[in-house]
Amino acid sequence: MLLESVLTGAVRGGTSILFPTIGEVIAERSGVVNLGTEGCMLTGALTAYAVGIETGSAWLGVLAGVAAGGALAALHAFMVITRKSNQIATGLVITFLALGLTSLFGQDYVGQGVNALEPVSIPGLADLPFFGPVLFDHDVLTYASFAAGPLAWWVLFRTRIGMTVRAAGERPEVLEAFGTSPALVRYGAVIVGGMLAGLGGAQLSTAFTLNWSENMTVGRGFVAVALVIFAAWDPRKAMAGAYLFSGSISLQLQLQARGSGISRYLLEAVPYLAVIAVLVLLSSRRRHAGPESLSRVI
Amino acid sequence: MSGTTAMSGVSVPDRVGSVARWSAAFVGSLFVFGLFVAARGEDPIDAIRAIIESAVGDADALGETAIRATPLLLGALAVAVPARAGLFNIGGEGQLALGAVGAVGMSQMLGGSAPTFVTLILMALAGAAAGAVWAGGAAVLREVFGTNEIITTLLLNYVAAIIVTWLVFEPWKDPASLGQAYSVELDGRSRLPVITGNRVHLGVIVALLIAVVIWLVLARTRWGFRLRVLGGNPEAGRRAGFGVVGLTTGAMVLGGALAGLGGMIEVAGVEGRLRPGILVGFGYTAFLASWLAKHDPLRAIAASLLLGGIIVGGFGLKIATGLSGGAVDVLTALILLGVLGFAQFREAI
Repeated sequence: MLLESVLTGAVRGGTSILFPTIGEVIAERSGVVNLGTEGCMLTGALTAYAVGIETGSAWLGVLAGVAAGGALAALHAFMVITRKSNQIATGLVITFLALGLTSLFGQDYVGQGVNALEPVSIPGLADLPFFGPVLFDHDVLTYASFAAGPLAWWVLFRTRIGMTVRAAGERPEVLEAFGTSPALVRYGAVIVGGMLAGLGGAQLSTAFTLNWSENMTVGRGFVAVALVIFAAWDPRKAMAGAYLFSGSISLQLQLQARGSGISRYLLEAVPYLAVIAVLVLLSSRRRHAGPESLSRVI
Repeated sequence: MSGTTAMSGVSVPDRVGSVARWSAAFVGSLFVFGLFVAARGEDPIDAIRAIIESAVGDADALGETAIRATPLLLGALAVAVPARAGLFNIGGEGQLALGAVGAVGMSQMLGGSAPTFVTLILMALAGAAAGAVWAGGAAVLREVFGTNEIITTLLLNYVAAIIVTWLVFEPWKDPASLGQAYSVELDGRSRLPVITGNRVHLGVIVALLIAVVIWLVLARTRWGFRLRVLGGNPEAGRRAGFGVVGLTTGAMVLGGALAGLGGMIEVAGVEGRLRPGILVGFGYTAFLASWLAKHDPLRAIAASLLLGGIIVGGFGLKIATGLSGGAVDVLTALILLGVLGFAQFREAI
């Protein structure tokens, strides 16, 4: 069944985009754009892979991937918040740094077998026709990702911490007046964002592709930044965006396998074009949806 | 090369401080790079010596650095021109690649029927046009739909790379290529002449001349002045009655054309054929070069030579130590971090 295969692939492949998208929503809600998300993902992917192999524990690998993504994001935060460097340029430098570091330290891991995060079928539910494979036969991080969007939304919009983060992005001067440092809040939000990007990268290498190769994220982190606009800075809508991208990857793979008459090389452009197309369609409605102090940056 | 207008109001102690900060940024980035190299079990001093020797060690090394700096310079100008109007062009990667595609396409169309000079001019125009279309697309989406050009130019890079791969594997595949796919080699009339040494081609000089022309256009023409006003304060530009849409679109299109020309020069001067991964990384490095130069076309020459030298140094590093070729990207990134966060701190942008 085409639909079943496409959706199963979309869900499994979407996890690695969903976490970074939610992370970037949090960072941007605090007023910081992080194009280094791509780099945080890549670093998370290699770190999880390498630590997983070295320690023999996939979960230690995932933890290390999260920490690595957070560490790289902390560097971005230091540059743009403390040193006041340009956010866009710095984000790209961070990604470039990650490309170099993962090339330098990943060399020996190319082609090595991974300590994989195995899929865990949910007893009973996994045998359901259609819904079983699509929803209930995945790795644990994918199950966690189902809850991540609503949870991030709840924290951002229903808790005091979330309100503080949003205030840092909308009216930092008000926050300042109440005795909370917007800089500190932004540090926190950017680092959490990087940790989620690292988590996405970890899922990508240890549960999805099951290998490491240079620049293996091929723009997924940049796509995550694009999907933040699609999601109108709402973590709940991030899921739709992530599955749109991974679904078009999975669809084009199915079309390749079944022979569509279109070159399989050209089909690979479909996911990127799909993201651009939805952004174009939504742009006029999204222009004022972003946090106010973000527009001062871009 | 110190920008006369930017520096004129700066007092002597500030200037000394600026030199000190820049030096500290460079030394600091070399130091941190050395730490990473040591962490991989190689001698940092040997590594840095290998990079410097292969980048500037002898005449051939200098030539190679100039060759690598050439697409970087044009790619940097492609960032600098839109940046004057306050736009981000992060699509240099795709615009360079499609410039190479346009040039190869034109060469194949002519099929050796035109004289060398005419062939090269037409290839340059085709490459520039392809780059311009790619950047112009992002500009039009921005002006018509309000789609953020940072995102579109970035994502279009991946689409451009896919187009190159498709061409090389399917319609333009050289039947003689077996494992590695590439296009048929360009005929002799489609190759830029070598001007000195074994490899330094005419494109190096062309790029330098273009950097000077772009500097003149930005600094001395009304169009350049308007771009700067717009970049500094879009509202002021609008009130002054500038055609804002035309200006910003024009800046992006010119930027894309410059990067496209860079792609043509690479394929006609160095590669001689299209292959997957041609110029990969050059667009992003060029973006960093433009920031290093604070979007000044003349300083961009120095920035491109520096980053081009580091790319060449990467080959030397790989031979001397076995470290991966991408390792020098770390050095480039560290220099940029030092410069963006410390050396340029509080300087006018």
